[in-house]
Parts: sequence; structure tokens; C-alpha cells
Amino acid sequence: MDIAVTKKKKLGLKERYALMTRGLGWEPTYQSVDDVFPMDTFEGIKIHDWDAWEDPFRLTMDAYWKYQAEKERKLYAILDAFAQGNGHLTLSDARYINTVKLFINGLAPLEYMSHRGFAHIGRQFRGVGPRVACMMQSLDEMRHAQTQVHAISNYNRYYDGMANFRHHHTHLPYLQVPRSFFEDAATGGPFEFIVAIGFAFEYVLTNLVFVPFISGAAYNGDMGAMTFGFSAQSDEARHMTLGLEVIKFVLEQDPDNLPIVQKWLNKWTWRGVRVLTLVAMMQDYMLPKRVMSWAEAWEIYFEENCGALFRDLARYGIEVPPCVEQVRKERDHLSHMAWCQFYQARGTSNFHAWLPSKEDMDWLSAKYPDTFDQYYRPRFEYWAKLEEEGTPFEAQTPPQQCQVCQIPTIFPVPGEPLTRAEHTCEHDGERFHFCSEWCQVIFEDEPEKYVQANLGAHELYKGNLFGDADPTAEGFDPMAAAMAFLKLTPAESGLHKDSEDARNFDLWRGLATRNDA
Amino acid sequence: MSYTLTISSTGDEVEIEEGQTILDACLRAGIWLPHACCHGMCATCKIDIEDGEIEHGDASPFALMDSERDEGKALACCATLESDVTIDAEIEEDPDAEGIPVEDYEGTVEAIERLTPTIRGIRIRLDREIAFQPGQYVNLEIGGDAALTRAFSIANDRGDGTLVELNVRIVPGGKGTTWLHENLNEGDRIRLSGPYGRFFVRKSARQPMLFIAGGSGLSSPRSMILDLLAGGEDQAITLVYGARNREELYYHESFEELAAEHPNFTYVPALSDEPEGSDWTGVRGFAHEAAKEAFDNDFRGLKAYLCGPPPMIEAAISTLMQGRLFEKDIYTEKFFSAADAQQIRSPLFRRI
Repeated sequence: MDIAVTKKKKLGLKERYALMTRGLGWEPTYQSVDDVFPMDTFEGIKIHDWDAWEDPFRLTMDAYWKYQAEKERKLYAILDAFAQGNGHLTLSDARYINTVKLFINGLAPLEYMSHRGFAHIGRQFRGVGPRVACMMQSLDEMRHAQTQVHAISNYNRYYDGMANFRHHHTHLPYLQVPRSFFEDAATGGPFEFIVAIGFAFEYVLTNLVFVPFISGAAYNGDMGAMTFGFSAQSDEARHMTLGLEVIKFVLEQDPDNLPIVQKWLNKWTWRGVRVLTLVAMMQDYMLPKRVMSWAEAWEIYFEENCGALFRDLARYGIEVPPCVEQVRKERDHLSHMAWCQFYQARGTSNFHAWLPSKEDMDWLSAKYPDTFDQYYRPRFEYWAKLEEEGTPFEAQTPPQQCQVCQIPTIFPVPGEPLTRAEHTCEHDGERFHFCSEWCQVIFEDEPEKYVQANLGAHELYKGNLFGDADPTAEGFDPMAAAMAFLKLTPAESGLHKDSEDARNFDLWRGLATRNDA
Repeated sequence: MSYTLTISSTGDEVEIEEGQTILDACLRAGIWLPHACCHGMCATCKIDIEDGEIEHGDASPFALMDSERDEGKALACCATLESDVTIDAEIEEDPDAEGIPVEDYEGTVEAIERLTPTIRGIRIRLDREIAFQPGQYVNLEIGGDAALTRAFSIANDRGDGTLVELNVRIVPGGKGTTWLHENLNEGDRIRLSGPYGRFFVRKSARQPMLFIAGGSGLSSPRSMILDLLAGGEDQAITLVYGARNREELYYHESFEELAAEHPNFTYVPALSDEPEGSDWTGVRGFAHEAAKEAFDNDFRGLKAYLCGPPPMIEAAISTLMQGRLFEKDIYTEKFFSAADAQQIRSPLFRRI
């Protein structure tokens, strides 16, 4: 006998999605829409039809919680196993730990700033689709910050330079570089923030950040960092598709949006690449087992992948940012200049510095045949000689910082490696200094914003980094007072070979692998 | 060893080679699935396996959870087949797709006409009727070798059920087109399969239409326009047709006649390399430039159909987009050569 099967009609994926996202919005009745969303018009971006927004991924909150919870369970199981098995002693070399320090101090706090930024704009966009997408990204970023702090706390129990990451992130001069990048974005309007972070950073530059750190972790035996990397990367692709959707949506809504978006792409590509200086240096100098050189990563992830993107964007009339020419010229210099700077200024950073070994330098000259032997090897060899003689070179004065990117003005004139670039302008009776033409362009577009920059080295000279110490007291030591204010201890800075970290790692690894009496 | 993949919501069937991923096979078959990273990390391409066995490949445990694997989810970008498989995926249903199944046909070459110095018009009389949507193409067997086929768009409308007309431009050094030009004779028997492709008119949109064609890319637009006009279409239809010179411009008189007959049809031929001082009074320049001029750089509200060599398509897309017509209203049929397929594309656009 046939039994009629009655299938209960299930909501289709699309309908369900619509109800669980856009269906959650409503029209205000006793306030005007403009009063409810006062911030999404002042930047000049014109949106005529918010409903034309196409959701780049179909994810509802209930499914979101379920997936993220399972990711967390997996991640923490691996982190626990890593911690209980003394995973830190399986690292390739103690120098690798400095990469972890750079990450927790420089990048993990950016995840938190990104969380705040997306929460903010998720409130400010009047379209329901982008608001839901921004809310999810905001939660992702919070999760990334938390898991990174948790993963790295396993290192903090044994090694220096991580305990004060929050304070250092806001106070150490070198960490003002990534911090000012995000603060600049977060103090723009909601559209500038999402183009800067959602598109320029998450899409254009993200692989240049991710690959060095996460592959670096994998190559150097850091299973904890590798796992939070994979866990975060499963969200990252969603962030990238959001970035792409934003740029398409904005460009298609009104022709007047094109010049505004072009200006932001010019600005944020440059600002992003400047922040990547830290990554370039890490990649070429700080990984005991290397993944690929900065120059190679740039070729694959910028020239090839972003080249394809800009070819597609050209259909809208978007042009490759003019700064890219300079980035190309700096490609073979960037990491070397940065490591030289950190080596000289090792007294004011919270990770350790070292000189590249002979083998390291041979690798660098193979990867940078046009620059390394000519401009950088002699310097490192001279510094090595001074170290041997017991008189290592160390800079005695803090460097001048760029008013915009806040990197010391160490960069050469593009194409003239032996001439330091100097760019200055006057504003409101004061003179300001920049590392490059492009930072100056950014300043001159919004001088009121950048005159407020708090430059660590400059503040030191102004006497603003002494905390409660009295500079007029007898025997006042300005550097000691500044170090106390920055909460920077001698164990955290200086040369790696002299550090407590290097000593302890060898001792503990010895205990783990040998039967010393 | 290949398997058949069935998509339950649309009924599409796709042949998948051993080791080929579901996503790759679908995209190659013209079925667009949502995707982003293409290496098992982002979960954008998550699908439901309704029947059959698959191998998850490199799907990340963070992108495809164990609980989801148990529920029959998979990532199309990594999954390969272990048997015939039925999936469900979020595929946009196209109200204008007629979903005509692909079949094999045999026929006789009825006539070969020299349309231009480089293009032959080949009329094939099939042994039985073929159903197709104007704009679609067939795969033609070359030299009786079932393994050697070439794709050609159908150039006629569907008034005559057993006729298939193909316009073939000779590709210098090309095996398939050289054989068709030099060895194929009237009265020869020939085999083809079809119809293929998702290039057809979106009539349900009820919007004015712009066709931009280059070279032998005229086939699809010709079939589409003949079909529209025969069916009494009342929306405005514009054909911008680019050729190198007057000699390479074919079906010119017949389009002029159609334009005279139908007030809603406009024909804009453009020559990019016509000798100066010739008696050509029409537009000189590329097809995209002619289109920009004809529409005063404002393409809003149109549906655009582009057919021709990749550089023409690319130039036309940029022109349309800078004239405010975007991806959702642009449909293309590109002629790919192996070199064109090598270029890295960003994921900014899905179809164009």
C-alpha cells in the first residue's frame, strides 16, 4: 500500500537567511532615519539604495555561535596540549620567541581595536545587511584578540616582554606605528573605516601579514600560534569577502563616490604597507627557520594577487595607488633598514635584537642580490666586530618619527639608497616632518587630525614621558624615569645573546633533553 | 574513471573526473557556486551531500566542523567524488533558463558560405530537431574524432528546428578551425552535441537590451536578436557590431533591413581598421567606443550582452561600468584561447 509522504515545507536557505538578518531591521517611527544614523553621510559617500547591498556570505547568528563554539573547543584542546607538553621547548630556537612578542604587542591589540571599530560602524550604517556583517566581524575580531592573548599567555609564563602588552601597545614608541594606523582608521567616518580595514587591510594586505606569522609559527614549531592562525583564518576569508562587497557597493551606488574611494585606497595602501615594515623585518630577520623572503611574499601577494584585483577595479575607474611605485623601489631595502633601526634602538623595545649570522647574511644576499651586500652587509659586519670587541654599537638618542606613520624617518629617497628622504611642511606656524612624500600627502589632506599625533620620541624630548618623577630633583636620570614610565625593564630589551630568555631556554631545553647532573 | 554529479535543486548534471573538485567541475560547466578562498579555509562553498560518497580532501577542521561532516556537509572546493553524488547548493535560479538537456546530434553539411575573408558560414541540417536557447553553443566534432571538439555559438534563430548555422573564423595555426575551413565540404556528415552555455536573453527583466559583438562573436547576438524580433519583442534593442574593416563586416545588409523594419531595433556597425578615404560613412573605432557614443556614456537601465574576443569583452565591460551599468546586468560569452585562461583573476567579480 502506498502511503502518501507529506513533506513539511522547510524554509529555503535564502528565505531563512532573509528572515534572520534583514528581517530583524525596522523602520523607526518617532525618530527620523537621519537622526538614528547620523554618521553615514558626512564623508560625502552617497548611497541611494541600501537594499542593493548583496550579502557576501549567508550566515545567521544562531549558526555563527554554533560554528565559533566548535572552533573554540578545538583550539583550546590544542593550546592545552601544547602548554602541558611544554611546547615552548620544542621551538626551533629561542630567537623565535621574539616573533611571538612582536605579535602580542603589535598585532593582537589591533584585533581588539578592530572589534571596537566594527562594533561602532555596525551601529552606524543604516543598511541592515552591512550592519549584520559588521556585527559578526566585530565578534570575530574580539575572539581573535582573546584567543591570541590566551595562546601567547603560555609563553608569558616563561619569557620576558609580554606581560605588559597593553601598556606597551599604547606607550612604546615602536608600537605607536601599528596603533596609530588603527586609531587613524577608527577616527575616520564609517565608510573610511570599512574601506581602510575591511578592504585595504583585510583584503589587499592580509596575506602579507598572515603568511609570515602563521607559516612562520608552523615552520618554527609553534603549534599554539599556528592553530589560532588557522582558527582565525576560517573567519578571515569572510572578512575579505565583506571588504570586496563594500568596495563594489560603494562604487556602484554613485559616480561621486569614486574619487573619495580612490583617495582612501591611496592612503590606506600606503599606511598599510608602512605598518608591514614590521612584518618584513620579522620575516627576513626574526624567524630562525625561514618561510620566504619579504621580497618573495611581496611578489606573490601584492604584485600577482593585488595586481589582478587592481586590474578588475580598473573597470570602475580605480587606479593603482601612486605610492606603489615607491613600495617597489623600497622592496629590497625595507626589512634591512628596519632591523638596523631596531638593532640600534634595542634599548627602547620590548623584544631582543641580534646580528644576522654569516649563514643568515648569505641567505639575505641570495634573496636581495641588488642591495644586501652593497648596503647592509658591511654595516652588520662592522657591528659584529664591535660586539666582539666588547663595545657594541647602540644609538644614544631617540629618532625623529614621521608625523603620520610614526616610523622613524629612516627611509632613503626612492632609487637613491644612500640619501635619506626628508619631507617637511609648515602648518599653523609649526614645522612637521615625514618619512615620505605619501605620508606628507596624507597629512596635508587632514592636517587638523595629524597634528594631534603623540610621537613617543618627541614626547620624551618634551619631557612628557617622566611620569611622576621630578625632572628638577637632584641626580634626575631622564632615561631611567622614561623607562619606569614606559614600564620597560632591562630584561625585556637589549641583545638576545645576553638575555635571560636565551639563557633560560637553553637551560630548560637542556633539562628536557639531557640527563645533566 | 568519471562520476556524475547531480544538483538536486536545478537538475543539472555534471561529469566529474577523478580527483577533480566539485567546485572546479561546476564552474567549468557554467554553474556558479558561492566560493572564495578555494582551498578549504573559508567555508563559503559549503554544500549539502544528499546522496553518494565523497572525500573531504583538504577541508580545514575549522572551516568544516566534525558535526557538519556528520550532517552531510562538504566544501565544494576540496571535495572529490567516490561515487555518483547528488548535492544541494545555493544556486541562483534563473527564470529565463529553459534547462534544455544536452544531447548528441548527427547531420549533413548543407551549405558552406564565405561570409568574409576569414569567416565561413556553415549550415548543418540535423537528422532530427534540436531545442536550444538563442545564444547557446554546440560542441562540433572535428575530423570525425570524438575526442577533438570545438565550441561554436549557434548563429540562426529557432524558426527551423533542424538547422544549425555556425560562423567559424579561422584561427591561424588552429587545428579545429583550419580543418573546418580547408577540409569540410558540402554533403559531409558531421556530429555535434549541445546546447551548452548560460548566455541567453533575460526576457523576464523587461528592460531595453544592448548587444555588443566583435568579429565572429556576432553569432549569438544574431540568433538572440532574430528570435526577439520574430517573437514581437517591444523593448528597445541595440546591436553594436565591431569588425576590423568593411570586408570583415558580415550580415551588414540584413541588419540594416531589420533596423528599417523594426523601429525598436538600432544597428550600429563600427570599423576599427578601415582604410582612410574609403566610402565607409559609419563609425570608425572600436565597438566599445561606438557604444559609449551611441548611449552618451549612460548605460543605466539596460541589460547588456557581450560576445567576442576577450580584449573586446574587457574593454566593453569597463566602458559599461564607467557608464553605470554593473555586473548584475552584464552577460558575456568569451572565446577563450589557452593563453587567456592563464591570467590570474581576483574574486571581485563572479561572472564577468
